[in-house]
Amino acid sequence: MLIVTCIKQVPDTTQVKIDPETGTLIREGVPSIINPFDAHALEESLRLKEKYGFRVLALSMGPPSTEMTLRKALAVGADDAILLSDRAFGGADTLATSMVLAEAIRKISAQEEVALVICGKQTIDGDTAQVGPGIATRLGYSQLTSVDRVDEIDMRRKRITVRCKFEGRYEILESSLPAMVAVLREINRPRYPTVPLRIISQEAELKVWDNRSMQLSEDKIGLKGSATAVRRIFSPDREKGQILAGDEVNDPDQAARRLIEVLVSKNLISVQ
Amino acid sequence: MEEKKRIKKPLGVARLLEGKCIFCGARCQSACPKDCVEMTEQGEPIIDITCCIGCKKCVKICPSQAIEMYFTPEQQRLLDEIARHGAPAAEEEAGQEEVINSASDSGYRGVWVFVEQINGEPAAVSWELLGVGRHLSWQLKVDLCAVVIGEKVQHLCSESFAYGADKVYIVDEPVFRFYRTQPYFVALCNLVNKYKPEILLIGATGVGRDLAGALATCLNTGLTADCTGLGVDEKRRLLMQTRPAFGGNIMATIVTEKNWPQMATVRPHTMHIHEKDPSRSGEIIRERQYIAEDDIATKIIEIIERTQEGSVDIAGADFIVSGGRGMQSADNFRILQELADELGGVVACSRCVVDAGWMPAERQVGQTGKTVRPKIYIAAGISGAIQHLVGMQNSDIIIAINRDKHAPIFEVAHYGLVGDLFKIIPSLTRQLKALRANGKT
Amino acid sequence: MSSQVLLFSALFAIAVGFFLLSCYLRFSLVTIGKPDNRFNELGQRFSNMLLYAFGQKRVVTRSYLFGLNHAVFFWCFLILLIANTEFLLHGLFPASVSLSLLPDILYFTLTFIFDIVSFFALVAVLIALGRRLFVPPKYIDARTYDAFVILGLVATLMLAFFTLHGSEIALGEERAALYMPVSAFMGNFILARLPGGTLTALVTAAWWVHAVALLGFLDYLPYSKHMHILTSIPNCFFKSLEKVNTQPREEFHKGSAYGVGRVDQFRWKDLFDSFSCTECGRCNDNCPATRSGKSLNPRLVIHNIKENLLHNGRQIGKGLEPALPLIGTCREGCVTETDLWECTTCGACMEVCPVFIEHVPKIVGMRRNLVEMKSTFPGEVQSLFENMENRSNPWGIIPAERGKWVTETDVPPFEKNQTECLFYVGCTGAFDTRNKRNTLALTNIFNNAGISWGVLGKEEKCCGDSLRRLGNEYVFEQMAKENAALFQDLGVKKIVTQCPHCYNTLKNDYRQFGLNLDVSHYSEFILDLIKAGKIKLKASAGLGRVVYHDSCYLGRYNGVYDQPRELIKLSSGHTPLEMERHRQRSFCCGAGGGHMWMEENADTRINMERVRQALQQKPDTICVCCPYCVTMIEDGLTDLKVTDNIAVLDLSEVIQRALV
Ligand SMILES: Cc1cc2nc3c(=O)[nH]c(=O)nc-3n(C[C@H](O)[C@H](O)[C@H](O)COP(=O)(O)OP(=O)(O)OC[C@H]3O[C@@H](n4cnc5c(N)ncnc54)[C@H](O)[C@@H]3O)c2cc1C
Ligand code: SF4
Ligand code: SF4
Repeated sequence: MLIVTCIKQVPDTTQVKIDPETGTLIREGVPSIINPFDAHALEESLRLKEKYGFRVLALSMGPPSTEMTLRKALAVGADDAILLSDRAFGGADTLATSMVLAEAIRKISAQEEVALVICGKQTIDGDTAQVGPGIATRLGYSQLTSVDRVDEIDMRRKRITVRCKFEGRYEILESSLPAMVAVLREINRPRYPTVPLRIISQEAELKVWDNRSMQLSEDKIGLKGSATAVRRIFSPDREKGQILAGDEVNDPDQAARRLIEVLVSKNLISVQ
Repeated sequence: MEEKKRIKKPLGVARLLEGKCIFCGARCQSACPKDCVEMTEQGEPIIDITCCIGCKKCVKICPSQAIEMYFTPEQQRLLDEIARHGAPAAEEEAGQEEVINSASDSGYRGVWVFVEQINGEPAAVSWELLGVGRHLSWQLKVDLCAVVIGEKVQHLCSESFAYGADKVYIVDEPVFRFYRTQPYFVALCNLVNKYKPEILLIGATGVGRDLAGALATCLNTGLTADCTGLGVDEKRRLLMQTRPAFGGNIMATIVTEKNWPQMATVRPHTMHIHEKDPSRSGEIIRERQYIAEDDIATKIIEIIERTQEGSVDIAGADFIVSGGRGMQSADNFRILQELADELGGVVACSRCVVDAGWMPAERQVGQTGKTVRPKIYIAAGISGAIQHLVGMQNSDIIIAINRDKHAPIFEVAHYGLVGDLFKIIPSLTRQLKALRANGKT
Repeated sequence: MSSQVLLFSALFAIAVGFFLLSCYLRFSLVTIGKPDNRFNELGQRFSNMLLYAFGQKRVVTRSYLFGLNHAVFFWCFLILLIANTEFLLHGLFPASVSLSLLPDILYFTLTFIFDIVSFFALVAVLIALGRRLFVPPKYIDARTYDAFVILGLVATLMLAFFTLHGSEIALGEERAALYMPVSAFMGNFILARLPGGTLTALVTAAWWVHAVALLGFLDYLPYSKHMHILTSIPNCFFKSLEKVNTQPREEFHKGSAYGVGRVDQFRWKDLFDSFSCTECGRCNDNCPATRSGKSLNPRLVIHNIKENLLHNGRQIGKGLEPALPLIGTCREGCVTETDLWECTTCGACMEVCPVFIEHVPKIVGMRRNLVEMKSTFPGEVQSLFENMENRSNPWGIIPAERGKWVTETDVPPFEKNQTECLFYVGCTGAFDTRNKRNTLALTNIFNNAGISWGVLGKEEKCCGDSLRRLGNEYVFEQMAKENAALFQDLGVKKIVTQCPHCYNTLKNDYRQFGLNLDVSHYSEFILDLIKAGKIKLKASAGLGRVVYHDSCYLGRYNGVYDQPRELIKLSSGHTPLEMERHRQRSFCCGAGGGHMWMEENADTRINMERVRQALQQKPDTICVCCPYCVTMIEDGLTDLKVTDNIAVLDLSEVIQRALV
C-alpha cells in the first residue's frame, strides 16, 4: 500500500522582492526550496507510514533540478521518488499540472495500490490550492482539504477519518480510500533529516519519467494544457516603514482613524 | 532601388533581461518551437541564440516581459534603414499574431456567484462577491446570478436579491444539508454546463477553495485563486483577476482566455458589499439534482465550533494582536483581546510577558516561541528585539504601536504609530466597532 | 622459612595477583575507544606531568585549605610508597631486605622522614574524615562510603605503623628510636605501660594489621574512586597540549555511525579520563548549569561514562551489543539527554579539573549522536538548524539583508589583494539591531585608525559555531568548507572579529579545515593599534563604576583576559571592578553552546544568576565583550527589574567614547 506525496520545488518566495525603484525583481541568490506546505504533507505521510506501515513515494513535476528536492524527501524517510520532467510539462498552470500528476499516480497505482495522495494545502509561489482537488477529481478519489489532523485509517473498511479546519469550525469527516488529503501547516512539524539518510539519499537513484513514458496528449499538458495566463506583474504597494502617526500627534483617536483608513483602503480589513 | 527590395527584415534573437524573470515555470521554454531554451537550476531561461529563429513566441508568452528581441548593430542599422524607407514592415507581424477566440463568440454569458452557507447561515464573503459581481455584470451588460445550494435555504434567495443578484438558481435538497465536495461540485458542474455562465466567483474560504478546485477540473477551465482585485476587459469580455503571488511579494494579473467559465476565488474582506436593498427581487430558478446519499463517500461525523477560548493556535491565525512588556500587567491584556475579537484574531505576546506570567508560554512569538504568518500582526508595547522579530517577520502586514520612536520594531513595521498603546488600542477597537455598526445597517 | 613468611608470601601473591588482574581488566577496557594520538611532543608531556601531577599545581590553586590537604596526602603517599615497598619486601625476604641494614645515617634519616610523614598523613586523614562528617562540602554528593573506606584504611595503616614501631621501641628493639618522635612517643608513653608479653604479641598483631590493610588498600584501589591514584599521573601526561577549544572532526562515510552513542565511540583518552576522575567535584562547583539548578552535573557525566564502560566494555569488546544505553535514563551509567542539552560549553569544568578531564568534547560528541543519528533535540533548535543550513544565519533572515548595516555608515568592502584585514562582522553584529551598535562602533574605530580593512557585506556567511557546539557537525562541516573556500578565494589572511564565538571558530575550529588564518578578537587588535600609536584614547568619564564580565570563548577558550581590562582602563581611567568569579573562573552568561537559541526555565536562568553576581559590585556599567553576552546581560537586568541606572555596554562602545 502506497502513500503518494506530491511535492513541488519552489523559489524561496520570501526572498523575492520587487525593487521599488526599477520595478524589477530582486532575487539575487534566491534558492529553491521544498514548498513548505508540502514538507508538512511529506511529514504526515511519514507518520502514517510509521503508524500503519505504508510505503511513501514522493512525486514531483518540475525541471531536472527538482531532483535536489526529491533527495531531501528521501533524506527524511520517503521510500521512493519519481520526478516527472519533460519540456512538454513546462509552463503548466494548475489545471495542466494536476493532469500530469494524476496520470502519473494512475500509472503508479497500476503497479502498487495507492491508499492516499497527500498534498500540501497550497504552494508559496502560486498559492492556488487547487492541484490537490484537481488530482482527486481526475482520479475520482475522495477529496479532503484543509486537514489539520488525521485521526484514523481503517484499512479493513478502507475508510479514513480526518479533522478539517474551516472558518470558525472544525469538521470531523470520514471518507473512503483512496483519498486525496490536502494538509494545513498546523498539522505537524516536519522532522529533521538524520545524517545516515542524508548520505544515502545523495546516492539514491531517482526515477525520472518524461512524456515518452507518460504518453500524454500535448494539448492537455504544459503550456498548451493551461487555461490561465499571467498578463502582468507589479509590486504590491506595501512598503515598510510608514509612520502614520509620529510622536507629535498627541491625538490617539486620530492616529487610530488613520490606521483604519489605510487598512480599509488597502482591503486589508473591512468595516462592513 | 533594386537593392532595397532584397533587404529582408532581420528578425533578431530573443534575449533575457537581467533580473526580470519570475521563474513562472518555464513558459518560454515550452513556447519555443525550436527547443532553443534551457532552464537554469533556479528556473531562469538560457536562450541559445544560435538556434533562435526570432519567432517571438517566448517574448509574448512571458508574463513579466523578461524577454526582448535583440538585434546586432548590423541588423539594427538595417532595421533603421527599413524604418526610414517605410518599406515592407507590416507584412509579417499580423500573420504571426495568434488569433485568440474572444469570449464574445463562446456562447457563455452571465456572472455567477456561489452563495456559501452553513446551516442556512450565509458566509459574509458571498455578499462581497455579489458586490463586485454587480460591477462586472454592469460592465458586461449581463445578469448577475446567485447560486444557492443547501437544505432549507429558500430565505437566501431574497437576501441574494437584496445584495444585488438579478437571478437566483437554487438547489434545495437534504443531501446538501452540509457542504461536502462531491455532491456540491457535481451539482454546480451540472448547472454550469446547463446555463453556461462566463464568469463564476466563489469565496476563497476553506469550503470555497475546496469546491472551486474540483469544479474547475471537472469543467476543464482555468481558476485563479485568492483574488484581491477583479476587473473586466470589456472588449474581449475577459475577467482580469489580480492576486498576490510569490508570498505576497508581487501582484499578478491573470486571465483565462480560451476556456469558460472564467473562475476565480476571491479573498474575503477584499470586496465591498453593496448596500442592502430588501425591496429588490428577481427570478428564482429551481433546479433538482438526483444525487443519492448512499453514493456519497464522505460522511460528516461531527462539527465543532471553534471558540476563542481554550487552547489558542497562534501559528494558524490570520490576525494577531501581540503585547510586550509595555502592557505592564496581565489585566491589561484585556484591551488586546477586545481588539483581537473585533478583528477575528488572537492575542500573542513577547517572551517578557511569558516570563512575567501574564500569558501562557504557547502564546510566545519568536525565536524560542512560535513562528507566525498572519495577514496582520499588531505589535503593541514590543520593542522588537531580533529574538522576537524572527517569529513574525513574515507577516503580511506588521503594525507597530510603541512610545519609543527609536524602537527597532519600527524598522520592520509597515505601519507605525508612535504613541501610548493604552490610548491607541482602545480607540482602534472603539472606532472599528462604530464603523462596523454603521456598515451593517 | 618461617611460617609467618610463608603465610605472608601466599597472601602477597594472591593480593598482587588480584590487583594486577583488576588493573588489567579495567584498563584493557580503554582500548575499545577510538584512536587519538597522545604520544607526540613527549618533552612537553613530561613537563606537564611534573607540573600538574607531581607539582599538584591545579589542586592547590583552589580552595586553599583542603587543596593543601590533598597535596599533603599526595606527597605523603609518594613517600610512604617507599616505606611500604620496603615493608612488603621485608615481609617476603626478612633476612635480605630491611632498611635497618642501611648505614646509620641513612637509616636514621629515612625512619625520621617516614615517621613524621606518617603523622602528617594521619592528621590529613583525620581532617578529611572530620570534614566529611561535620562540614560535608556540598559538591561531594555521592560515593562517600568509598571515601570512608579509603580514609579508614589509610588511618588503620598509620595507626598500625605507629603501634608496630611504638611497640618495638618500647621493647627496646629499635635502634632508631631517637629519630622516630611520634612512634617513640607512642611507645614510651602509652605502650610501655603494657605488660612485656603483650608487647611482643602487639608487634606481631600490628605487623599483620599493617600488612593486611596495605594489601587490602592495593586490592580495593582499582574499584574505588582512588583509582585516580593510578591514572591521574598518566592523565596529566596525556593531557591535551593545547586548550581544549575545539572538537574533533568527524568522518562522514556511508554506513558508519556518527557521534558518540555507545561508549566505544569515544576516543580512548575520553575513556581514560573517566578512570582518572578524582570525584573532587570542582567541575560541578563551577558549572553554571549545575549552579543554576539544572540536572547537568559534569562530574556525574564523567562518572556515568565510567560506569557505562565498566558495565558494557567487556560485551562490546566481544562484538556484542551493549546492555546499558549510554544516552538514556537509568540510575547509574547513563547520561540523560536533558543533561547533554543543558551544557553551555563554557569550559569552566575543564578549566578547574585537576587531572585535565575534557568534558566538553564528550558532551558535544554525545550531542552529535542525538542530532545526527536520531534527530532528537530541543524543539527550538530545529529552526536554528534549518536557518543556518538554508540561509546561513540563525534567524533565517534573507541573506541579502546581511549587508544592510553597511549602508548606515562608511564601510569599505574587502577587496582581493588590496585589503589587508578582513573585519568579520558575524550574524549578530550584522542583523541584530542592538548589536549593530557594536559593529558601528568598531567601524568608527577602524576608520579612525587609518588602517586597511574591509567587510564582506552580504557575501559573508555564518561561521557555524552554534551548529558545532550543538552537535550538528554535518552541516557545520558544509559551512566551514564553504567559508574556507571563500576566504581562500579572496586571499584573506588576517581577520578581526567582533564576536568571540566567530573568533574561536575561525581561529581554532577552521584549522581542521586547512585554514591557518591570523585571527584576532577586536580587543587584541585594537590594543595592538594603540600600542602602535595608530589609535589614541582619552579616558572619558561618565561610565561610573565599570564591572567587566569575561566571555567564556574569549577568556577560558583563548586566554584573552588582559586586553579588555587594559582597554577599559585606557577608556575610563580606572581598572574595572572584578566580580567574585572572574578570569579563569568566570561564570557563563548562559548563551554559549547553542543556548542563545534555546529556551531556559524562567526561574533559574543562568543570565539572571550572572547579573546578580555583577550587581554585588554595585556597578553603573556592565562591560562585556560579546554580542551574546550583551543580550543575555541586558535581558537578565530587565528580568530582575533593575534596568534603570545600569548600562550594558560592549567594550567597542566603551572604546568608541574614548576616541580622540
Ligand atoms: C535565548 C533567548 C531566547 C529568546 N526568545 C524570545 C522569543 O522567542 N520571543 C521574544 O519575544 N523574545 C525572546 N527573547 C527575549 C528578547 O531578547 C527580548 O528581551 C524581548 O523580546 C523583549 O520583549 P518586549 O519587547 O516585550 O519588552 P521590551 O524590550 O522591554 O519592550 C517594551 C516596549 O514597550 C514600549 N512601551 C512601554 N509602554 C508603552 C506604552 N504605554 N505604549 C506604547 N509602548 C510602550 C517600550 O517603548 C518598549 O519598546 C529571547 C531572549 C533570549 C536570550
Ligand atoms: S562546559 Fe560549562 S556548562 Fe558544560 S558541563 Fe562544563 S561547566 Fe557545565
Ligand atoms: S572531572 Fe575533574 S573536576 Fe570534575 S570531579 Fe572529576 S576530577 Fe574533579
